[in-house]
Amino acid sequence: MDYKAQLKLQALLDGELPEGEASAVTKWVAEDCEAAALLEELRNTRGALAEFEAEVRLPESREFFWSKVEREIQRLETPAPKPARESYWALVRRFLVPASAVAVVLLAGLMLIRPAGSTGRSVATDIETALADSGAFTYRDYSAGTTLVWLSYPADNEVVDSDEMDTFE
Amino acid sequence: MTVKDHSSADDQTLVRASQRGDMAAFEELVARHRDRVYARAYGMMRNEEEAIDLSQEAWVKGWQRLRQFHGESSFGTWMTRIIINLCLDQLRKHKRQRAESIEAMEEESGGVERQMPVITVNPTAGLERSELRQRIDQALGQLSYEHRMSLVLHEFEGMEYKEIAKTMGCSIGTVMSRLFYARRKLAALLADLKNRNSV
Repeated sequence: MDYKAQLKLQALLDGELPEGEASAVTKWVAEDCEAAALLEELRNTRGALAEFEAEVRLPESREFFWSKVEREIQRLETPAPKPARESYWALVRRFLVPASAVAVVLLAGLMLIRPAGSTGRSVATDIETALADSGAFTYRDYSAGTTLVWLSYPADNEVVDSDEMDTFE
Repeated sequence: MTVKDHSSADDQTLVRASQRGDMAAFEELVARHRDRVYARAYGMMRNEEEAIDLSQEAWVKGWQRLRQFHGESSFGTWMTRIIINLCLDQLRKHKRQRAESIEAMEEESGGVERQMPVITVNPTAGLERSELRQRIDQALGQLSYEHRMSLVLHEFEGMEYKEIAKTMGCSIGTVMSRLFYARRKLAALLADLKNRNSV
């Protein structure tokens, strides 16, 4: 029996042959015991599988299986939480904090370079005042950023009161 | 709040209620058809855990696509189509991961099933149901996925050759060959199991 004939037997069993061809194959099976045996074998296998299918059961209880399905449905249907809208204050704060930090750094830098800059006058004046009574003279060249302090010994204001100076004059 | 008892309602009524968002109605549908959906998954995957997971996924998909169901087929048939497609996707993933099976090589080299001696005695005759199930289970597990799939779709799902070819993406001739090989191999495996058990 060739392969084509074997497949025709199977098609007969599965009801896939056109009517005319089905009756011709049926007639052939009735006359050929080899074909009849093969058809019987195919039929037995088919019958065994039909029994098998009826036996398969989901090995989980109704409640347990449903709880899993339900949980998954709910999980997928719950929209992902949207990120909360940022408040006006939070926005201001977000820009304010770095801006403040930058401002502090700039201010600190400015204070460090101030004595050499054009606005160093007030600091120098303080020094001058502090030294006023000690007979110190200060010379500042703002364009060159140079400060010279001349200290006289004894101090000039002390010389006036000093007996030693009187002697000298 | 009282929960409506859906146990006496028919599938059509339950589907309509589910389409309106009634989860209790859908739960009743799951309870009615869960064994069928699982059996199809198990028949194709041969792995209990995987079959349970895929069944669960199929029911979730069923709920999500419920609005697309217009009753062209029965609800049970519609659900089994969902599980079949999920299993096919899963098996394709497996196939990409594994090397060619011996069975597939046999199919390519061709013709072993043509020379197999005919099994004249029904190898499953007189078996207890549990024993029959065990033997078929064992034998199905030894078939390649292509052969098992053809068999499951034809025998359990009642698909015609043309439909199987479309589902599996092959020709009708290939479906016929695969089916023939699967049946003959299964008969031989069952006979072999019978002989081994009777020794």
